[in-house]
Amino acid sequence: MTSWIVTNLWLIPAVPLASSLLILTFANSRRRTGAALAIVGQVVALALAVMAFLPTLAEPGWRAFHNFTWFTFGEHALRIGWILDPLTAAMMMMITFVGLWIFVFSTGYMAGDKNFTRFFAYLSFFSAAMLGVVIANSLLLLFVCWELVGLASYLLIGFWIHKPSAAAAAKKAFITTRIGDIGLFLGVLWLYGGSGTLLFYDDGNGCLERAGLLALGTSATFVALLIFSGAVGKSGQFPLHVWLPDAMEGPTPVSALIHAATMVAAGVFLVARVYPLFSLGAIDGVTPSLTVVVWIGVITALMAALIALAQADIKRILAYSTVSQLGLMMVSLGVGGVAAGIMHLLAHGFFKALLFLGSGSVIHGCHHEQDIRKMGGLRRLMPVTFLTYAIGMMTLSGVPLFFSGAWTKEEILHATAHWPRSFVPHYLMMAGVVLTALYMTRQMIYVFFGNRREASEHAHESPSVMTVPLILLAVCSIVLSVVVTPAWPWLHDYLNGEPAHFAIGQLIQPMLFVSLALVAAGIGLGVLLYRNAGERDPLARAQPVLFRFLENKMWLDELYGKTVLAWSATLSRASDWMDRYVWDGLVRGVAGVGQFFGILSANFDEHGINAGVDDSATGTRGLGRFMSAWHSGQIQTYLGVVAVGMLALLILYAWLA
Amino acid sequence: MNYLELLKLASPEVAVVVTALAVLALGLASARGAGICSAVAAAGILFAAAAVLLLPEQATLFHGMLVIAPLTSLFKIICLVLAFFTVILARGDNTPRHRGEYLALLLLATIGLMLLVGSEELLMIFIGLELTGLSLYVMAGFDKTDPRSAEAGLKYFLFGSTASAFTLFGLSLVYGMCGTTGLAAIGQKLTAGPVQPLLAAGMVMTLVGFAFKIAAAPFHLWAPDTYQGAPIPSAAFIASGSKVASFVVLGKIVLVGFGPAHGSAAWHAMIAGWAPVLAALAALSIVIGNLVALAQSNVRRLLAYSAVAHAGYTLLGLIAGGREGFAATLFYTTIYAFTLVGAFSVVALVRRETGGDDFKNFSALWSRSPLLSGCMAIFILSLAGLPPLAGFFGKFYLFSVAMRAGTNHGLLWLVALALLGSFISLYYYIAVLKAIFVDDPETGTLNPEPLSSINLDFLQRMSLIVLAVGILFLGLMPTILVARIVASLP
Repeated sequence: MTSWIVTNLWLIPAVPLASSLLILTFANSRRRTGAALAIVGQVVALALAVMAFLPTLAEPGWRAFHNFTWFTFGEHALRIGWILDPLTAAMMMMITFVGLWIFVFSTGYMAGDKNFTRFFAYLSFFSAAMLGVVIANSLLLLFVCWELVGLASYLLIGFWIHKPSAAAAAKKAFITTRIGDIGLFLGVLWLYGGSGTLLFYDDGNGCLERAGLLALGTSATFVALLIFSGAVGKSGQFPLHVWLPDAMEGPTPVSALIHAATMVAAGVFLVARVYPLFSLGAIDGVTPSLTVVVWIGVITALMAALIALAQADIKRILAYSTVSQLGLMMVSLGVGGVAAGIMHLLAHGFFKALLFLGSGSVIHGCHHEQDIRKMGGLRRLMPVTFLTYAIGMMTLSGVPLFFSGAWTKEEILHATAHWPRSFVPHYLMMAGVVLTALYMTRQMIYVFFGNRREASEHAHESPSVMTVPLILLAVCSIVLSVVVTPAWPWLHDYLNGEPAHFAIGQLIQPMLFVSLALVAAGIGLGVLLYRNAGERDPLARAQPVLFRFLENKMWLDELYGKTVLAWSATLSRASDWMDRYVWDGLVRGVAGVGQFFGILSANFDEHGINAGVDDSATGTRGLGRFMSAWHSGQIQTYLGVVAVGMLALLILYAWLA
Repeated sequence: MNYLELLKLASPEVAVVVTALAVLALGLASARGAGICSAVAAAGILFAAAAVLLLPEQATLFHGMLVIAPLTSLFKIICLVLAFFTVILARGDNTPRHRGEYLALLLLATIGLMLLVGSEELLMIFIGLELTGLSLYVMAGFDKTDPRSAEAGLKYFLFGSTASAFTLFGLSLVYGMCGTTGLAAIGQKLTAGPVQPLLAAGMVMTLVGFAFKIAAAPFHLWAPDTYQGAPIPSAAFIASGSKVASFVVLGKIVLVGFGPAHGSAAWHAMIAGWAPVLAALAALSIVIGNLVALAQSNVRRLLAYSAVAHAGYTLLGLIAGGREGFAATLFYTTIYAFTLVGAFSVVALVRRETGGDDFKNFSALWSRSPLLSGCMAIFILSLAGLPPLAGFFGKFYLFSVAMRAGTNHGLLWLVALALLGSFISLYYYIAVLKAIFVDDPETGTLNPEPLSSINLDFLQRMSLIVLAVGILFLGLMPTILVARIVASLP
């Protein structure tokens, strides 16, 4: 049974993929069947993921893989395979479980859409691609699925293709992440060149194992950094984060699935997966590549948290908060807290999906209004949404004790505190905690408290198909804390491959009080600032210049537009000119020669040998003339050619002999 | 050796013979039994395929007259599967009346192919060639209401019988010089170095017969008229089954029988032998096939000229020689055969709907049947050799084998020519797709009435999907078939 699931791990992505194809081919016009197929596929994938999860519990650090030859190329056999270890198992559980509820939620949210079934086909496709990323035991397979994830996100962000902004956002997401992917691909090539294999684990011969790492030597730093550039693109790290907020143009369940819970997690997952490459030759847990990861993470986390403070779109705030949290995870990975980073990733998957679906419910209730300044007082109109959203907000802000996000964030702060290189990330991350609490409080107050404004006049609670997933995800956000507290850090030890131990005395750490103070400061400041806020943001009144700077996302988009985009546009124009006037002329010349010979040869064949037959065959001549045409010698000509051809071959033979 | 054992070892062939007779009788007994005939023929083919699977691994009867080996079993099954698809294709094609007779002929041709594949003896090979050829001549001219079908049949017959005459003459010369008709024995008689002129003439004449079968230039002239005029199932079978079996047996003859007289086709280092002869055929086929295809406006004619070009590519593997080269040739010809059956199935449906198979009949097919268009796109793009379809891998395999063959990359000139040819071929392949996906029905079509969608029944739909998915799948996982072919080669 254990070996069965390892050998057949491919079924987990294959099932949603099959649903997707089935929906596209057979259920295009049957809405119910389409949604049912997608959900059933997800349920089956979840069941299989549970089956795969169980053996990993058997003993700490259990790992199994199944490799096989994809194809043989000369003497090189290209091998791929899948792997089952705690990291994969935990990620699969999160993706299939959160995915399932997002699918259910979508049946309500997308109910009125005319491309309902296509949406579910894409969702299933996305889920399949993401599951492919996590089961891959080969960087090549991972890269293939990684690109499929990119394609799925392109399709889903641009789902409302009739909106120019959605089309532009889809394009932006695709192209921006591709920039990182070029780096990743170079990393893949370099890794293959250096270690001769792309398998992660292969009984000691994989690229993450002793032999592969030894072969790689010092170039591991560069390989790691190139791979990291892929992660920077996918996980929305500075400076490639610009696509993520724009991606909110997609339907909200998409934002929840892709841009909060799973896809952006792919980058963090990738770094965790190839962590041995990053930590190769570490002195005191520090390597140059990991240091880069830390600083990129720090910059991203703080920058995004600051920008989130000045956004007015409910989903954009969450988008920037995602960017900020991903930065936090990267910091954690960089300082050596791999398990802590992944724990936060898993917890984040739950509560961010909850927040996004909550925002979806709000948007649905407010008739597709997304500006928080036009909402307000929704607390009474949408009680379930409010309650679950509040749980999500407290988990994200890190309110201690009951919420999983708090414990995982705590763990990360711990890890940063012990980084030998510098104490700066530790304090900056603390500042990040305050900012997170602050912008989430701002959002809560604008949306749910205060007076009703124009958009919330006729708001209504969402149907139960949407609220039930909210409740479930909220419960999960809380229940997950059971396995992440310092008293029983089961998840931490599970991911690290150590036996879990239980120590109630460890529950209260000094850091807990520090973070309690930080969160309290953030929320208190928020309440103070925004309690009586009107249309105009209090921060905008106090610091108009700074606010405008943040509101415009630090003018990074404009900066890219003026520099990279402008340069590439100039370059394109130049190449266009070259193409049009220089190369095209050349090609036309060559094509002319080819055409000339083509016509010559065709004429020879058609008129010299085949004369009349084709013309008559098209009916331009009468049947009689046609019959006489080939009676009058055409087939003889044919046979003459046979004789001449054979003679020519004989002469060739004789001449060579 | 008793006859019971012979019956057991020849059980697939026997099954097909019995089916052919049964179908013939059924067709004669009832005029309305067309459906039953098809079902019986399909069942008989499946039964024969199962019988092939039950054959022993290795057996040789009568000094190589009937050989059972992994290679022969594999290709017998491939020929049977091709025949199966042809039966499905013929089922939807309402042109041939007298369904029973038609299917019986198809089954007889299939027996010919099986004998051809399963023999290592010149006499038996010739009998196989003739049995296949005679059945196919009649099948090509089967549509008695269409003068073009008659023309196709007659041309194919005259051309084919001339080629057969050459082959028989060649074979008799080979027999006269070597004193044996067994391929392995001939291989032992021949020694490296110059061959006697008479034997060389025999070899060249034998090759001419096969060049006709595989439609290599300049012995291809029958192909365009036959492909265009014959009933579509006949054309599909001529282009697929007959070609696959011919390549199998041609490979055996040149690599086993004429092995020592290989010669060399390397640039500036040509040595007399069959390799330069085949190289000349390949080069001419690639050039003529691709260039003339550019000027076609009829899809079947276009497929015929492209078949000439593909025969040229496929020869590359044999010229390169060796196990790898033979494997590449066999893989490519198999892939090609299935792709062509698929393409002809689409053409047949389009012809049924629009009454023709010119480009204009294909215009705006996309809006009438996305399934047909999608499958046709897969077939055409696989023919053009675009990844990730099987055609791409097949070409890649062939060309890389040819590149590696010999010393100093001597076959580079042929590979370069083939690459240039595939490059040119993109133009006319894309032109077909342009008609399907881009062209406006108003400007292109003869059909004045509004476009209705095309209805396919379950079997048609399934066979198209199976072929298309198979081609995509073999492009992604070519190892499945390649490993099987390589393992089956001695």
